[in-house]
Amino acid sequence: MSLDLIEPILFGLLALAIVGAGLGVVLAGRITTSALLMAFTFLNMAGMFVLLGAETIAAFQILIYVGAITVLILYGVMFTPQGPRAYGLFFQKQTTVGAVIAALAALPVMAVAFAFRDAGNVPPRGGDLVPLASSIFTDFAFPFEAASVLLLAAMIGAIVLVKRE
Amino acid sequence: MVPGPLGLDPFVWLFLRLLIAVVLALVLILNGALVLIYLERKIQATMQDRIGPYHVGPFGLLQTFADALKLIAKEDFRAGQTDTAFFIAAPALVFSPMLASFVVIPFAPGIVGADLNIGLLYLATLGSMGVLGIVIAGWASNNKYSLVGGLRSAGQLISYEVPGILSLVTAVLVVGSLSMVRIAESQPGPFTNIFVIPLAFVTYFIAALAETNRTPFDLPEAESELVAGYLTEYSGMRWGTMLALTEYGNVTIVCAIMSTLWFGGWQGPGVDSGPVTGPVLGLLWFTLKTYAFILVFMWIRATLPRLRIDQLMSFCWKLLIPLTLLNLAVTATLLIAFPETKVPVAIANWILLGAFVLGLPLIQQRRLRRIRARLRERTIAAAPAS
Amino acid sequence: MTTLVPLGAFIALSAALFFIGMAGVLVRRNAIVILMCVELMLNATNLAFVAFSRRLGLLDERGSVFVVFVFVVAAAEVAVGLAIVLAAYRNRPTVDVDEVTEMKG
Repeated sequence: MSLDLIEPILFGLLALAIVGAGLGVVLAGRITTSALLMAFTFLNMAGMFVLLGAETIAAFQILIYVGAITVLILYGVMFTPQGPRAYGLFFQKQTTVGAVIAALAALPVMAVAFAFRDAGNVPPRGGDLVPLASSIFTDFAFPFEAASVLLLAAMIGAIVLVKRE
Repeated sequence: MVPGPLGLDPFVWLFLRLLIAVVLALVLILNGALVLIYLERKIQATMQDRIGPYHVGPFGLLQTFADALKLIAKEDFRAGQTDTAFFIAAPALVFSPMLASFVVIPFAPGIVGADLNIGLLYLATLGSMGVLGIVIAGWASNNKYSLVGGLRSAGQLISYEVPGILSLVTAVLVVGSLSMVRIAESQPGPFTNIFVIPLAFVTYFIAALAETNRTPFDLPEAESELVAGYLTEYSGMRWGTMLALTEYGNVTIVCAIMSTLWFGGWQGPGVDSGPVTGPVLGLLWFTLKTYAFILVFMWIRATLPRLRIDQLMSFCWKLLIPLTLLNLAVTATLLIAFPETKVPVAIANWILLGAFVLGLPLIQQRRLRRIRARLRERTIAAAPAS
Repeated sequence: MTTLVPLGAFIALSAALFFIGMAGVLVRRNAIVILMCVELMLNATNLAFVAFSRRLGLLDERGSVFVVFVFVVAAAEVAVGLAIVLAAYRNRPTVDVDEVTEMKG
């Protein structure tokens, strides 16, 4: 017995969970179910990042997506009561067209995606913290500052939009 | 792959080790919660001039064991209109991040679940995951008190995460590492981080009180206004998991973080004395430091009244976050300006701390004066009409 | 030696999640679910970024930097998006995107 196949098995489980939960977000009738399944997708995506050896990104993924974005969306769900209605009414009138367009666009992209091959020199897992931090604060310092301005603008915009009066 | 002891197959040992670790962590948390609940009740009783639990066992020591047995034996009861799947999932969603947090806490030299190089980030991450479970619990209970409790908790926990994480970042800047083991090792002498960055400690302490839902920030589960907030519909072991285990587990974790980051964790006299006595003494120092903070938490619970929700939010966004941002900026600048010595950082931090402590009454006075002036205007404006 | 998952599998999974999110944006009525689906699409791109940056080995770890910017954009997007949904809900008690038609000529 050995652990040779542990990575493919983990990948399979995580991929199944991601695709299943993603489909659940789109198809679920209740909006809270959608929100929780979205959080589940994000958690499994963090697992995928760990599998790729990017632990820091995985930690940020959970911190931002599960801890902040999902909770914000749940907040939004609770402020807008959802009345009960027939399952078909959860979808637009052009549902079939939309689904077909998405499927048609997906097929060629998936075919191309499988063609990518590894470059051969896989970096050792773990320790993506220092390279990530040093490139953010040296080469990408200006985009980083711009991103902070974007966040500030979004915060002020959101406050102005929902302020009464 | 690590070969196991006694000639065990490495594959078997991998899973056996995992099982042993999980069982140990569970035992630690369960017993810790029992001890802490007993301590909390006894200390509250002493402070309120009561006796506290004394019937079961000597000094009532077994009271919480009896309570735990009662909770486990209780019927699994659910109100009819609850949202079954979410209702059942919520306690697990709150409990498991807390359980996972214990992995990176260094209990003693060499005794740590995993020395992650992003240890502190991992702890912050798991701390933010608990909110989801609380919001879900509030929603699934189908009860307005629970819903209000869940929403309050979402707002409070997300808000107070910001000053909490900014204070942790200040400490990380001073130490220069995110690994909990490295942070504990970096403070051998009597001059630990508390002398260098006391303001970050104070702000983290306040944020930690809020993040663990302890008084004076226990608005999500305020008994007197929301019945029990998101816990209203829970009973039996679900309630036990949500409240007893998770709350006291989280308290233990934030206190362990405080003792590791600012007080050197397991560092203390005699930790280098030998391969056996060193870890034992380290564990002793770590436990003493952590429990000292837990006792302060209990002391605060017995003495301070609860805040109002708008006071809570404005305190966080208008005072705590600007202060931690200023502290972070000052600390980072001084660390770059004087890379060899930490004395300038310490001086700046003590000055900021003094300004914070002395400035609070001034701010409060000005606020009260403004409120009184507004009230007077309103009564004068309303007088001719009546 | 453990077997490695090929890069193509990660990229295909990322594409699958992206198109699931896209289908959601196209077919759902509820504005909040549409926001969730946009988040799924952004997350799918994150997976592609991380996979390329770890496995293609051309630009040591630089790809992961873009993930951080995607996080920032996602957080800003959900904050402003929810604010818009709530503001629209206040004017007209519905979160269905096809019923908010005041701007139609």
